[in-house]
Parts: sequence; C-alpha cells; structure tokens
Amino acid sequence: MYEFFTGYMFWISISICLVGMLVRVVLYFKGLDWRLDRVAYKAYPLHGLKGGLRSVIYWLIPFGTHGWRKQPVMTLLFFGFHTGAVLVPLFLIGHNLFLEEKIGFSLFTMNQLTADILTWLVVASALLLALRRIALPEVRILTTAYDYFILFISTAPFVTGLIARYEVGNYSFWLLIHIICGEALLIAIPFTKLSHIVLFFASRIQLGMDYAIKRGGFKGKGVAW
Amino acid sequence: MHEGKLCNKKPIDTEEELRALLNDTGGRTYYEEMKELDVDTELLWGTVKKTIKSRIKTWLEICAHCGMCADSCFLYLIDNRDPKQVPAYKIQSTLGEIVKRKGKVDNRFMLMAMETAWSKCTCCNRCGLYCPHGIDMGVMFGNLRALLYQQGFVPWEMKIGAGMHRVYRAQMDVTDEEFVETFEWMVEEYEEDYIGLEVPVDVEGADIFYTVNAREVKHYPEDLAEAAILFNIAGENWTVASKGWEQTSLAMFAGDGEACKMQVESVYAAMERLKPKRMVGTECGHAHRATVIEGPYWAGRRDGKPPVECIHYVEWLAEALREGKIKIDPTKRIKRPVTVQDSCNYIRNHGLKEITREIISYIVEPGYFIDMTPNKEHNYCCGGGGGFNGIGLYRPQRNRALITKRDQILNTGAELVLAPCHNCWDAIRDLEEEYEIGIEWSFLKPLIISMAVIPDHMKPEE
Repeated sequence: MYEFFTGYMFWISISICLVGMLVRVVLYFKGLDWRLDRVAYKAYPLHGLKGGLRSVIYWLIPFGTHGWRKQPVMTLLFFGFHTGAVLVPLFLIGHNLFLEEKIGFSLFTMNQLTADILTWLVVASALLLALRRIALPEVRILTTAYDYFILFISTAPFVTGLIARYEVGNYSFWLLIHIICGEALLIAIPFTKLSHIVLFFASRIQLGMDYAIKRGGFKGKGVAW
Repeated sequence: MHEGKLCNKKPIDTEEELRALLNDTGGRTYYEEMKELDVDTELLWGTVKKTIKSRIKTWLEICAHCGMCADSCFLYLIDNRDPKQVPAYKIQSTLGEIVKRKGKVDNRFMLMAMETAWSKCTCCNRCGLYCPHGIDMGVMFGNLRALLYQQGFVPWEMKIGAGMHRVYRAQMDVTDEEFVETFEWMVEEYEEDYIGLEVPVDVEGADIFYTVNAREVKHYPEDLAEAAILFNIAGENWTVASKGWEQTSLAMFAGDGEACKMQVESVYAAMERLKPKRMVGTECGHAHRATVIEGPYWAGRRDGKPPVECIHYVEWLAEALREGKIKIDPTKRIKRPVTVQDSCNYIRNHGLKEITREIISYIVEPGYFIDMTPNKEHNYCCGGGGGFNGIGLYRPQRNRALITKRDQILNTGAELVLAPCHNCWDAIRDLEEEYEIGIEWSFLKPLIISMAVIPDHMKPEE
C-alpha cells in the first residue's frame, strides 16, 4: 500500500496536478476574447503585462491593498492559511528528502520549527475560516457544502501531517493517510475551485491588464489597488 | 411563445413603437405584460454560450465565497447589511444560476434577475477592486443586463432609452436639426455678453470636436452656451457635428449591445468625416465611458481606441487652466468649503483622479477643498449610476441609495459639491431634494465662467 501511494500514485497525482494546472492556464488565456472582454490585450502586450503583474504583486502583500486593509482579520486568516499551505508542502525537509530519493532533486528546505509553526497556522486559520463562514451572515449566504469540502480537502494533509509528525497513534498509518490526503488534494486542484492556485494569477493578471490597457492605465499613476 | 404588445423581445426601432411605449404612462401596461412574458430558454442558453467565455466562466467558478466584496458595495451597506445585497451573492444568484441551469429559467426568475440587475447594482465596478481574485461583478452585471434585455426583461425607461438611440442616435428624442438649432439659439442668447461668441458647425480639421449629452439640448441648454463661452475664452479652434453629436449611451445601461454599436459608430463617423485633432466630451461620466472607453470595442476597433484622441471635459479644462488659455481671477476663487464627486465612469474606470484635483488647485483657495472619504477610484457611486436615476419602478430603492453620498458629503462639511458628471449631478440634486441637507452642487462650466478673466475682445462695449 505504502509503495503504491509513494510510487505510482505519487507520479499520477503530481502529473495530473501539474498538467492540469498548465491546461487550465493555457485554456484561460486562450479563451480571453478582446472583443467580448473589451480589452485590447494584444495591442499593448508589455503595458498590459506590467499592469497585470502590478495587480498580482499588490494583492500578494499582506495589507498591501485597500481590500486587505479594510478587512484585517480576514487578511490575517488568509495569509495565515496560504503562507503555510504554499510553503510547507514545497520546502518541508521530509518532502524534499522524499523528492531527492525519488528524482534526485530537491528544493531549499525550511527548518522544522518554521514548518511546525506554519502548519499549525494553516490548521488554526482553516478552523477560523470555517467559523467565519458560519458566523458572518454575508459569508454564510454565499457558503455551500462545496466550500466546506474545499476547505476540508486542502486542510486534511496538514492535519494528518501534524498527527504523523507528533507520532500520535500509529505513525505508519497516519503517514499513509497523510500521503493519500496530499495526493487527493493534488488530483483535485485542476478540477475544482482549487484551480485558483494558478487561476488566481491568471484572473488578477487579466484585471490588471484591463485597468492598464483600458481603464486609465495610460492616464495617471495607475489604479491604487 | 407569449409576448406582450409593449413588453416583448423586439428592440424599439421606429418612432411609432417609441411613441406607443412612451404613451404607456409609467410603463403600467408594459410591466403588466412582463408578468406573462415567456423566456426563450434556447436563445438564452445560446447567447450564454456565445458570450460567457473564459474570463467570466472563471470568475463564476473560482469565486471563493469569501464575502470580501460585501463591504465594498454601498447598496449592501445602505440596506442594513442585507446579505442578499452582497455582490457575489447578487451575481451568483442571477447570472451564475442562468449558467448553472443552462438557461432553463422561468418568468419569475427573470423578474427577480431584472430587479437585481437594475436596482441592486449600478455597475460602478467598486467591488472589483476589493476581490482578491479580481472578480469584477460590475462587468458581469453588464452581461446579465444584456441577457435580460434580449429576453425583454428590462425596465421601461431603459427599453425606451435604447430605442431612442436606435431611432434618433441620441438618448432623447432630439433630432440633428434640433441639436444644431438649440446650440445656435443658446449662443445667440449669450452673444451680447460675450462678443464674437459662435458655435462652429461641421468645421473640418478643427482642433476640437465637441460632443454633448442630449439632456443638455433638451433640459439644460445653457450648458451648451457655457461650453461655447469657455472654448471662445480659451481661443480654441472647435466645432460640433450636425450628425454624431451625442456622446451618451443609455443603450449601455439597458444592455442593448447592438444599439451601443449604432450610437458610437455615429460619433466615430463624425470623427472620420470632420477629421478633428481631438474630441472633447461634455461633463458626463457614462458618455465618456460609452464613447471613449467601451465604444471602440463595440465598434470592433482592435486597438481599443476611438478614431481620434478623445478626452473628458475635465482633461481639456485642466489643460486650458494649466496652459493659461483660461485665466482665473484670483479674487474670485472659491472660498468656502467645497468637495468633489468622483465619477465612477471616468475616475475609477479611466484614471482621471489627479486631473480633477488639478482643476481644484486652480479654482479653490487653499484650505477650502475637503475630499470625501473614501475618494478617487475608491469613491462610492453617487447612488444613481448605471441607469438607476432614471427608473421609476426602483425610485424608492434609488432614494435610499442616495444616503451613502449624502453622508459622505455631510462628513466633509462642504457647502458646494463639484459634480462634473450628469448622472452624479442629477443624483446630488435629488438627494438635496429628498433629504434637504442645504448644499449646492454644480458642473464646472458655470463656476469657471464666473471666475474666468474674460479677454478684452470678448467684452461687450460699455
């Protein structure tokens, strides 16, 4: 079982995830239509790209935009969740040892304490994000079972990872569950809202281009995100 | 498929149809008929497939349902934070449902969608600035309006407005002859006060081709004279066109894409015919958006630009003041608390925030200008944008919507509100009527005239 999930399934899930994300991005940009969207994307590629990147960068900075500053609690939860959710899977020493063994290549690794803190931050933020969905009427009205499923599937690898890390119960069992959860997440990414992992950038670049090319980007200092 | 005599899927293309609709006071019969209007679900789904592509499909799909857009919407705030006013909810429960159900929706659904599209969103695009994913719900409401218009579910005044553009190439029943006559008549009225005042019509190769809002011709003709006076003071080589003079587009508010194209092409044809160096539009927000920002796309122009450089009135005015073409008498500068209304259509959607402040620096004594909070591209809609001002059916909602602007103005302590946009001007007038807060409001033209140094050659002989 362990061999299967660290062997075939590892390759299958990572391939589905990477190819799937690539396909989503390619389809997104190929599907943009200058006339329907009313944005002359191709007429001003560099100017547009600059606006697109600006729109991404501001939103990647905590409290970097009016939107983030307006909702400080949500901003903390958002970055609390996403910082760990992005960094830990990529730079955890355990993951990189596995990668090194698998493909003879590994990334920079973070120390265990940082990984622990970030992982706990992911779990705590996820819990609070779920509570936020219940507590705030303006979020509750939008929330569907699908939203909880997305939160569950993206948090499960972190919860199971912590259980395995602290060796609560049977280590091998929880490690296996952790791997299965991680792979389920990888497979789900291209087919669900989790595609926002790449489509966030695509969509932000699009709106940034829209503002740069059409909505005043040639007029002043650019929109204050 | 059941359709009414007045309320149906067919756009208004003749004067007779327009008259018939206008004679139905307040749209009473029209709205009665709408309750029986069938939805052509195949047509609806066909249009969705043709128009809802990558960008909007992705927006609808990746919306994280985080609710961060809620606070950005003034209609949500003013409606006691009613969750049904959350922008994401409004668009997901209308356009999102149409897409999810593959167009299989009924009359009741469409009536709800119409109310949402025209009374719960002014297409101000503010929410788009507050969504982490960059989902612009105002843009999607434009698409929703187009789907509703095609099915005949459109407020009475909007159907008339779009029809006006189709019949008259103007938002009101103003013919080309009436436009020229009114402009000439208004100039005559003022020519004794301003020597040499004239309105050049159809001059080829002028530096400035001036376009207007038909409301000015019909309801505020002195605005035309004021434009002429300021161009004359500035010594501009300008002209108007006897055809293609109307810059606005109620068709844009109505969601009638075909009429949008017809309208803007009439203005572009005038540009091609007269070959001016630039076009300057009047103090109107949506007119600028229609002709300068969205228009090139309706007309299929790949570079996204009109045939000649087009600028808003505030851009021309700032330039004229900066270059000294119009000189302000320093003793006449505004010396009382004043604020400015940032129009969504050319501030948020065309980046002109610094230009209006530059004008203020020339005409307001330092210390008297107080900005609203929030301001510039983050300013709230006046409360009457996107056609909201003109729809009788939703007047109670519109009046409530004005409270946001009322309170923003009150918080500045300003006595005078500069409103270089027709829609904003109307909304501020209505909020004063409705809530009587004791403010004055004004376009820039009359204020500038009252402060400008009149060149000697324009002064009447004593």
